[in-house]
Amino acid sequence: MSAQPAKAVVAEPTDSLRQLWHSGPAGWNRALTRARVLLPFFLAALAVPLVLQYVEDNSSWIGAQYWTLILATCAMYACLAVALNLVVGYAGLLNLGFIAFFGIGSYAYALVASDQIHQHYPLWAAVLVVSIVTLAFALLVGVPALRLRGDYLAIVTLAFGLIMRDVVLELDRPPVLAGHQFGPDGLNITGGTNGIHQVQPFNLPTSLPLLGPVPHYRMYYWIFVGFLALCIYLMLRWRSTRTGRAWVAIRDDELAARAMGVNTFKYRLLAFATSAVMAGIVGMINAAQIFNAFPSPNFDVQTTVMVFIMVILGGLGSIPGAILGAIAFTVPPFLLQQFVFYKYLVISIVLIAVMVFRPEGLLGTVSIRPRKTMGGTVELLTAESTIEASELPAVTDTEAADLEAVSGAIVEDPEWKL
Amino acid sequence: MGTFLQQLVNGLELGSLYALIALGYTLIYGILEMLNFAHGDVFMVGAFLAAGVAAVLVHNEVAAVPAGLAVAFMIVVAMGGAGFLGVGIERVAYRPLRNANRLAPLITAIGVSLFLESAVQVWVSPAPVLVPSHALVPQTLIHTGGIETPFTGLLLFVVAVALMIALDAFVFRTRFGSAMRATAQDREAATFMGIDVDRVIVVTFFLASALAGMGGVLFGLHYGIVDFFMGYLLGIKAFTAAVIGGIGNIRGAMVGGLLLGVLESLIGGFISTQFQDVFVFLGLILVLLVRPQGLFGQPLTDRA
Repeated sequence: MSAQPAKAVVAEPTDSLRQLWHSGPAGWNRALTRARVLLPFFLAALAVPLVLQYVEDNSSWIGAQYWTLILATCAMYACLAVALNLVVGYAGLLNLGFIAFFGIGSYAYALVASDQIHQHYPLWAAVLVVSIVTLAFALLVGVPALRLRGDYLAIVTLAFGLIMRDVVLELDRPPVLAGHQFGPDGLNITGGTNGIHQVQPFNLPTSLPLLGPVPHYRMYYWIFVGFLALCIYLMLRWRSTRTGRAWVAIRDDELAARAMGVNTFKYRLLAFATSAVMAGIVGMINAAQIFNAFPSPNFDVQTTVMVFIMVILGGLGSIPGAILGAIAFTVPPFLLQQFVFYKYLVISIVLIAVMVFRPEGLLGTVSIRPRKTMGGTVELLTAESTIEASELPAVTDTEAADLEAVSGAIVEDPEWKL
Repeated sequence: MGTFLQQLVNGLELGSLYALIALGYTLIYGILEMLNFAHGDVFMVGAFLAAGVAAVLVHNEVAAVPAGLAVAFMIVVAMGGAGFLGVGIERVAYRPLRNANRLAPLITAIGVSLFLESAVQVWVSPAPVLVPSHALVPQTLIHTGGIETPFTGLLLFVVAVALMIALDAFVFRTRFGSAMRATAQDREAATFMGIDVDRVIVVTFFLASALAGMGGVLFGLHYGIVDFFMGYLLGIKAFTAAVIGGIGNIRGAMVGGLLLGVLESLIGGFISTQFQDVFVFLGLILVLLVRPQGLFGQPLTDRA
């Protein structure tokens, strides 16, 4: 966009770090989203459990499995944060029922991969079922809700999350089918508060060439990291397409986007549904990892808020930020087990503080800061459009004099900020 | 027919509680066009304040306090405490973001809601707290023509309706009320007319939160038990009531609250208690689809 002139400047290598520092959150985000940063990051992330294992084998330290599990949780929340970032950061939709899609995914998988209703689908069929089921729910909520204004979307999705929780808790004895006897206890779909147990894990090889036997926990860590990489790849590819630009346009100014002929409903629904399906698949991997589908963390609004704070702290619209946020809020609770009672207290305080003091988060590309001036409509200001004076080409006095002579305007050294 | 009337009465009692809280949502939405997710939790804090006062006055027997005076204390502390809590929330969490993107205050509101819940859970009680309502209000059942209702239920209904009428009079009959309505219509224009918008917003938050606090007192007296999570579901239902009545419309919130309470009671009585909440929220989605401006609201113009 208007950041184009910055590319014309060929910087000295020593200047580039300084420039990066001065480029602000949006610049840091751009730098961290490059393939030459992300690829090594993911390769390193894949290698971490092997390194942990090596350290454990060659020292008195034990904890490779524990730390791999923590990192798998990190990767899982990173997937969720990236998916939520798509809907909140890219498309500007407040989906407060987000975690319900995660829960729907894990229950959908648990139903087709356990003895609950005696179905054991192969992996590809299970992925298909989970995607279709979460997509169906996303459309069920999204089609009516996305026609409404932003605040109503928030409340409808919040209500949806609650409904799903109630439904899951009560479907161990559906009233409609109360007359049917499927077993000694009647029809039990979701297992109520107990959840669904003995969910089968994915049917994957237990040993890989070169790596030897792969334990369950390490395999699922790799699956999460792999899925995270896939999501990020898709999203980065998507961002530079017509769809990605449509999302940014809608988020920045819906009215203007509509005036330009963007079908706002279609693109918002696309973002909403895609993020829901992503969350569903994450839920499915989680159910396979822990062999269970539970109602409690899967449908709790606190979990949604936790994923929100990951996205907000990292910065709306920033993919590296979402990963950072996921790490920042997953690892400490494991290390500070004795304070876990205060977890949500801390999370809520951090959420409020970030929103008030640094609403764009650590690496945000979207500024939702209050405007200094009074104004009727409030819009999002993209931080990307600000150019630092140092990025502008320097104008020497003679050049300025020439320009003045040609254009008749007064040319000054650009010390001001745009 | 008897069951129907009984459910109707139960519904009106529940509905008057919804209406009290819905008024808060509607007042704040009307003025700031923001959804104060934390409002249900302000109600919860009010209920805990009332429960605390009741526990001190009834159990500790610092002095022999007559029941009437104890209830009066509860009301003052809960309404005042909740009111100032609301003002504090506005000052800390919403005012810095007043001209920000619409998403920003919504996200902070979620944060405030979670904060209040966890704060009460961590610092007050993770378990439900009993309110000694038996020592404060008569526990008699009132029988009329086959319908019976506890005295506290009647109290809930009467007090709620009286407060609604008082609020309505305040907003539509007083000078400050017209300043509130002016601010709701157009904040900038109100500023140009010499209205201190900040003061209007603060007073609105105080009023809304004090009403929620009163709701908390009545809830404690009627149900005899409060817990840190109760504001969440009740808050969303009250918001639903506000939407049904037309958000931003005070009389709409009252009617919406009563209507929602009755509907919920009837669904619980005749269809399914398990899926009562599911039906309530399906109703919300239906209302938003068919008539997003609610029963009495102005048609919404999209301000994008």
